[in-house]
Amino acid sequence: METKLLEVRNLHTHFKTEDGVVPSVNGISFSVAKGETLAIVGESGCGKSVTSLSIMGLVAPPGQVVGGEILLEGQNLLALNKKELRKLRGNKLSMIFQEPMTSLNPVFTVGNQLGEVFRLHQNMDKQQARGRSIEMLETVGIPRADKVVDYFPHQLSGGMRQRVMIAIALACNPALLIADEPTTALDVTIQAQILELLKKLNDEYDTGVILITHDLGVVAEMADRVVVMYAGEVVEQANVFELFASPKHPYTKGLLGSLPKLDEQREELESIPGAVPNPLEMPGGCAFHPRCPLATEQCQSKKPSLVEVAPDHLARCLYA
Amino acid sequence: MRQYLLKSLLQIIPVLFLISIIVFVLVYCTGDPVSLMLSDTATDEDRRILIAALGLDQPLYIQYFTFIGHLFQGDFGNSFRYDMPALPIVMERLPATFELAIAAMLVATVISVPLGILSATKRNSFLDVLFSGSSVLGKAMPHFWLGIMLILLFAVELKALPVSGRGTLAHLILPAFTLGTGIAAEMTRLIRSSMLEILNQDYIRTARSKGLLESIVVYKHALRNSMIPVVTIMALQTSTLIGGTLITETIFSWPGMGQLIIQAVNTRDMAIVQAAVFVVAILVIFSNLLADILYRVLDPRIKYN
Amino acid sequence: MSASLETQTPQLQSIGKPVQHTGQFKRLTRMLFKSKTGTIGFLIVIAVVFMSIFAGAIAPHDPAKTQAAKRLKPPMWMEGGSSVHPLGTDNLGRDVLSRIIYGSQVSLMVGICAVILAGTIGVILGLVSGYYGGWIDSIIMRTVDAFLAIPNILFMLVILAVLGPSLVTLILVLGFTNWVKYARIIRSEVLGVKERDYVKAARTVGASNQRIILTHILPNVISSFIVVSTLSVATTIIAEASLSFLGLGIQPPTVSWGGMLSDGRQYLATSWWVATFPGIAITITVLGIMFLGDWLRDILDPRMKARK
Repeated sequence: METKLLEVRNLHTHFKTEDGVVPSVNGISFSVAKGETLAIVGESGCGKSVTSLSIMGLVAPPGQVVGGEILLEGQNLLALNKKELRKLRGNKLSMIFQEPMTSLNPVFTVGNQLGEVFRLHQNMDKQQARGRSIEMLETVGIPRADKVVDYFPHQLSGGMRQRVMIAIALACNPALLIADEPTTALDVTIQAQILELLKKLNDEYDTGVILITHDLGVVAEMADRVVVMYAGEVVEQANVFELFASPKHPYTKGLLGSLPKLDEQREELESIPGAVPNPLEMPGGCAFHPRCPLATEQCQSKKPSLVEVAPDHLARCLYA
Repeated sequence: MRQYLLKSLLQIIPVLFLISIIVFVLVYCTGDPVSLMLSDTATDEDRRILIAALGLDQPLYIQYFTFIGHLFQGDFGNSFRYDMPALPIVMERLPATFELAIAAMLVATVISVPLGILSATKRNSFLDVLFSGSSVLGKAMPHFWLGIMLILLFAVELKALPVSGRGTLAHLILPAFTLGTGIAAEMTRLIRSSMLEILNQDYIRTARSKGLLESIVVYKHALRNSMIPVVTIMALQTSTLIGGTLITETIFSWPGMGQLIIQAVNTRDMAIVQAAVFVVAILVIFSNLLADILYRVLDPRIKYN
Repeated sequence: MSASLETQTPQLQSIGKPVQHTGQFKRLTRMLFKSKTGTIGFLIVIAVVFMSIFAGAIAPHDPAKTQAAKRLKPPMWMEGGSSVHPLGTDNLGRDVLSRIIYGSQVSLMVGICAVILAGTIGVILGLVSGYYGGWIDSIIMRTVDAFLAIPNILFMLVILAVLGPSLVTLILVLGFTNWVKYARIIRSEVLGVKERDYVKAARTVGASNQRIILTHILPNVISSFIVVSTLSVATTIIAEASLSFLGLGIQPPTVSWGGMLSDGRQYLATSWWVATFPGIAITITVLGIMFLGDWLRDILDPRMKARK
């Protein structure tokens, strides 16, 4: 295949709680090519966000990356010290968060928070950083950027704030952008605009993107390849056309079944009965079996491994 | 902003009015200034003359209006101990008290900001437990006793610092620490809890995701936000701070307003007491107003309406 | 703020409801001993209460007995000290330990009585202010502002100077100057409770104001009251000591910790123990009450715990 931008190998991230160790990410592997958009999908609590924070090196205690490798252009991020990692963060590696309303610091202006990145990673002075900030705000489609640069976050709408977040993330033209549910908190028309913007920037800058979402509509529109996660593990992985055309894992099928038709009201992923299992009481065998319509006795005892079920198509199911 | 200020100033008027009533009631209705002012050998006739001269034979509300009338001219009557108008005597002592109060706030800030931040960033560590424990102890200790213990240690045993008086910086150290420690205890606790809350905010994660140094994340992005409630609460403590100067000044013979008030109370020099209570109340009210303005400056989200 | 109040509603309501007493008591003791600081606070408070009740039996000497020959004797572990006076003697030859034991009586009595007085005034004004609102609320709240603008200690000094110091005036003064914080807290609690459905329902079925306040609102604000009162006892004890230290509180021959400190201060250069031990007694007592108060807050008011 093409050159790999990011390769995650057998990543384990655990949270130590009073009741025991929670393996939020339990040995996942995937890769992102240059300019590729990889979607990671799954219900909340399946480990998507922890995966992205692990890549960024921002897992907060009591969480900890306990094993695996994260290779960015061949360099293992987990082997870097704090200082080296910090130099990459916001520079080659950046992230957009789910909550635009609370992700910007309320007491500093937009220009201050955006300019900070230029001053930090590109050694610009205040004036230069301000100039670049205005350009960047224009790039992400903010009107009257020369005014907005002096606004405080509370003076902007949610969609505008998310554009500012995108501007911050793309400021140093990163090789990899992680977008964690970038549109979930926004209303539908704004969602479409933001997605379009991300797509355009992805094409223009040839940035690799990891798009974390639970919304398969967004996946269909944006992604080249898809990783489906369940209970901290990858359960299926394929390119987007293959996955939508012939899903192999019952969980993926369930997710697709819950994809709203155009003429329907949206209800999120309601067609899979039950909920993500409590990570402290993981069912034996296949983690999905309590909710699986096709589960057999064997599924309760034998844990399936991730196997190639078709060219470039992996699935973790005994019957795939 | 101007409108907001105007409105706040207008709201002060009824409070000042109530304070004038409180002061009036305190002094005119519960005390007997006449017997204090006359010697034991005074005759009934002397007494009557003095009562008439002071207007004490008038109905209460007339007395109150007279009192208010004088008050508007800054006239609180003469101190019989100094035989001078009371207000200038009080005002003359103000700089010393200001000096002590500001030094105490400085001490408190210098102690509590780093301690509070360390406690929060190293939550549940040994240092956190130590600092939190000290701040509880600092709150439980009566500060006049702390002052005495500081004198015992630094002035009596080590002979390193002067016991009392005002003049050099060395004179200021012990009183400032005595008064500042209690405030520092409260502030450390506040900064810690405020900081803990802020460090969990989404925008702190954003700041980290930009690759900023942890010190910039903490001192720029978190500190500014966490100081908003701290500054507000601390500015509202002016009343406690001034109250604290009363005792601290007495212990260290610091020639400020506090010492003057205690002496005036002990000698029942009511003109001075009235003037001082009023001056203190106005100071407190304006520092509360200042707190409000500061809050608005620190937090751009607040609008003036 | 209002959002967080709503989400907490179910927990808050459960506080006001009567619970079977034996079960409640057992549960409370279990929770008490689970908290380290709560246990320490509880033990300290019990010890101080015990000390003040049985002062006559515990104290080795008469606290007022002066002995000219045994002036300023150091504590027993120092040279010249003896086990007859474990913590030494003061400038009149009185036993420091016995005086500390007797001094606890004044501290507790003033602390508790003043808090009851302040609490009663504050709760009544807070309930009225919050429940009725309108002009009466404005008057009470502006009065609160006026009181807040004058430092408590200054206020107390002035009244004491006018009335003359005695145990009763001290309690009255501390009570009349400290009601403000109760009034504010209770008022804001009432404003929250007032809009709850069951209060509205009671009003619709024609319950009298008095009845609504007593049966629906008071039980719901009582837990904040208990927490604030406990912590208030601590600050009141410090205030009493401060006033006695300034010579305007408890007058000799009644023994008080603040008064002992004031006596000892003059002999600091030669006899450190006279001023040191009463201060330690105050600190430990206040610390105990604060620990107990914090624990009470944690179990009675889940909102406050969340804030901490």
